[in-house]
Amino acid sequence: MLVMKRLAEGSKANSDDLNCLNTCTTCGICTENCPSGVDPPQSIEDARRILVSSGTMTDTQSSLSERANFSGNVLGDSSSRIGWLRDQRGLPHKADLVYFVGCLASYRYPDIAAKTFDILRRFGAALLPDEKCCGSPLLRTGFDARELIDSNLTQIKDMGAKTLITGCAGCYTTLKNSYPDEFEVLSVPEFLAEHISELNLKPLELTVTYHDPCHLGRRHKIYDGPRKVIEAICDLKEMKANRNQSRCCGGGGGVRSGYRDLSLGMARKRLLDVPAGVDYIVTSCPLCIRNLNDAGGDGKVIDLVDLVSEAIQAIGK
Amino acid sequence: MVVLEDLRQIVGDRVTASPTELYCYSSDASLVGGMPDYVVLPKSTTEVAQILCLASEFEVSVTARGAGTGLAGGAVPVKGGIVLDMSGMNRIIEIDDDNLLVVVEPGIVLDKLNEALEPHGFFFPPDPGSSAMCTIGGLISNNGSGMRCVKYGTCRNYVLDLEVVLADGHIINTGSKMLKSSAGYDLTRLMIGAEGTLGVITEIVLKIIPLPETRKLVIASFETAETAGKAVIKTFSSGIIPSACEILDRTTIQVLKRCDPDLLIPDDDVVLFEVDGTMSSVDESAQRIVDVCATLASSIRIASGKSEMDEIWAARRLVGAAVSRLDPAKSRVYVGEDAGVPLKQIPNLIKRVQEISDEFDVPAMKYGHIGDGNLHVALFIDVMDKSQWKRLMHAADKIHRAAIDLGGTVSCEHGIGRAKAQYMDDQCGPALDTMRAIKAALDPKDILNPGKLGL
Repeated sequence: MLVMKRLAEGSKANSDDLNCLNTCTTCGICTENCPSGVDPPQSIEDARRILVSSGTMTDTQSSLSERANFSGNVLGDSSSRIGWLRDQRGLPHKADLVYFVGCLASYRYPDIAAKTFDILRRFGAALLPDEKCCGSPLLRTGFDARELIDSNLTQIKDMGAKTLITGCAGCYTTLKNSYPDEFEVLSVPEFLAEHISELNLKPLELTVTYHDPCHLGRRHKIYDGPRKVIEAICDLKEMKANRNQSRCCGGGGGVRSGYRDLSLGMARKRLLDVPAGVDYIVTSCPLCIRNLNDAGGDGKVIDLVDLVSEAIQAIGK
Repeated sequence: MVVLEDLRQIVGDRVTASPTELYCYSSDASLVGGMPDYVVLPKSTTEVAQILCLASEFEVSVTARGAGTGLAGGAVPVKGGIVLDMSGMNRIIEIDDDNLLVVVEPGIVLDKLNEALEPHGFFFPPDPGSSAMCTIGGLISNNGSGMRCVKYGTCRNYVLDLEVVLADGHIINTGSKMLKSSAGYDLTRLMIGAEGTLGVITEIVLKIIPLPETRKLVIASFETAETAGKAVIKTFSSGIIPSACEILDRTTIQVLKRCDPDLLIPDDDVVLFEVDGTMSSVDESAQRIVDVCATLASSIRIASGKSEMDEIWAARRLVGAAVSRLDPAKSRVYVGEDAGVPLKQIPNLIKRVQEISDEFDVPAMKYGHIGDGNLHVALFIDVMDKSQWKRLMHAADKIHRAAIDLGGTVSCEHGIGRAKAQYMDDQCGPALDTMRAIKAALDPKDILNPGKLGL
C-alpha cells in the first residue's frame, strides 16, 4: 500500500516498485482481516493496470501477455486444447451446460479435465468449440483481456449456454466478475455438492484435508460445497488455517510465473498447515495443485474430482 | 555513500538505500513523516554497537524501529539518517519460569511471546490492540500497556533488565535478573518510554506471571458517561480490581455491531468489566460488580461464556481501526487519541471531548481504559476534504489541552514521538529541562532518534 502511495505522490516506478507490486498473490487474506474494510488486492490490480497502460512492466509480465494473446492460452502451448479428450466425435454445438476447462487443466492436467468432463457430460455438459484462456492471468497482472473474453463470449452465446461450470478457481472468479452477467457460473465443487445424491459415491477408506483456493474461498465464500462432497466420501481433517483464514498456495496473481522461489516458499509454508495422518491434500484449483506439489506435496495434492472419480460407483440415470 | 559502504561492512546485504524501501520506513500509523537515508536490519548486539560507533563518528542520526505500529511518529526518522529495523532480532533466548522471567530480543512480536509462554502457564500482561503485530522493543520504548494494565500495570512493572547500546557504541545492562533491586539509579525505568532517544535496546529480561485460571466478563450499560464513571469508582471502592475495565460510547457500540452484527451489546454507553483469577474468586467478583452497579446501570449481565467474551474482546480490539465501517467516506486519523486523566475526571474528559467534537463538527468515537483514566478518542473525517483537516487538528489540540487542564496527560500509552512533542513543555514543566540534561549526557551528539519527545 505504501508503494502505491509513493507512486500516487508522483514518483516514477522503478524495478523495486514493480517487484513489490508484482509479488502480491492477490489472495485477499489482508482484505478478510482488515478492520477498516480496505481491499488491497483490488488496489494492487488497479496499480498494475495503470502501470501497464503506461508501458511500465516486467519482462515476465510482457511475455505472459504476448503468450496468452498469441496462443490463446497462458502457457503458450500450440497443441490442441482438447487433446485430453479421447473421443472428440459428436460434441454438441448447442447446450445449456458448458464445461469451461481452463488452460492448466487443458494442458497440464489432462486427466483432471477428462475426469471432470466424464462426470459433467452425463448431466448434458458440452465444451466450447475453441475455448481460449478466460483472461484471468492478464487481468491479474494489469493487462486488458478483452480479445480473449470476446472470443469466449461469442462461443458461449452461440452455444446458447445458460450455465458455465469450471474446475479452476481463477477461471471462476474471472467468468463471474469480468464477463457480462448473462449466464450462471458454477464451480465444479458447487455443482458436485448440488448433485451429490446423483453421484452414487462409494465411501473410501481415506483421510484427507482440504486446501481452500483463494479464488473460491475468500473471493466467493465457497467453503461448504467441497467439504460436503469430501465428507460424503471419506474423513476430512481440516488444515491448521482453513476457510477464510487459509494461507495462499503462493501461485496466484502472477507470482508463480514471475517469482518462482518466493511462490514455492509460500507453498512450503502452506504445507506446514497440513494435519498429520492424511492420505491426500484435496483442493479445487489446478494452480494450487501445481504449486503445492512442486513445493513438496509430491503428488499428494489432488483435485476434488480425482477423489470423486475414485468414489463413483455409477452416475445417476 | 561512505556510510553505506561502512554499513555493508557490518551487516552485509542487510542494508538498503533503495528509494522504494526507504519510503516504506518513512512513516508509522501517525501523520508524522521523515525519509531515512539507509535502513539496516541488524542481527546482533555487536552489529548494533558497530553501527552506533559508525553513526557517532559520522554524526548520523539513528532511529530504532520495531513493527512501525506506533501512533506518534516515534520510529519515524524525522531527521533522516539510519533506521535500525529491529524486527530481525526476534529470538526468545530463554524461558526461565522457575525464576518467573523470560529473556528476549526486542524484535519479538508480543502475541508470539505470549504463545510461547502459554504452555508454561505464564504470560506477559501488557496487551495493546496491536499485540498481533507490535514488537516488545517498541512496546517497552513507549511504555505501552493496554486493556489489562488496570490490574497488571504497564511495561514498567515487568522489565527487570535491558541490554542497551549507548550512542557511542558502548553496551550496558541496566538491571539484573533480580525481581527487585536497590542498586543505584533505576536506569531500566529511564530507558522504558525513552523512545530510543537514550540508547538502543538489544536484549530484554521480563518478569512473567502465571496465567489466571479463568476470566469472566460483566457487560453494563449506562445512560450517561458520568454514571458509568461513578459505577467504576464504586467498583474499585468495593474492593474489586477488574483485570480490564473498558468504556465504549454509543458511537463505538455502533461500529462494534458493524464489525460483528451478532454481538449482544446494549446501545447505550457500555462498560466492560473483566475479572480473572480462580473459578470461585471470579464468580464472586463478577457477582459483586453486578450488585454494586445494579442501581446505576440501565442494564447489567454476566457474559454467557468464554466464546461470547472472546467475541466481544476481539471486536473491541479492532474497533479503533474499524470506524470506516460506520461511514465509508470517512477515515480515522490518529490525533488526540491517547489522552488520560485521573480516574474521577474521566466523565469530565468525555464531556469536554463531546463539546469539542460538536464545536468543530468532527465526529468522535470515544472508548478506552476507564479503569486507569485513559480515553481513546477516534476522530474521523473525509480525508479528501481540506477544511475537515483544519477542524480536525484544532479539535485534537483542544483535546490534548483539556487533558492537561484536568491534571492528566497527552499520552497514556502511545508515546510522545513527534506528534505530541509540542505539549511536552506544558505537560512536564521544568522536568523537561532535566530530561534534556539526561539526553545531553547520554547522547551529546544528538544522534539517537533526534526531534522526538520535545527535547
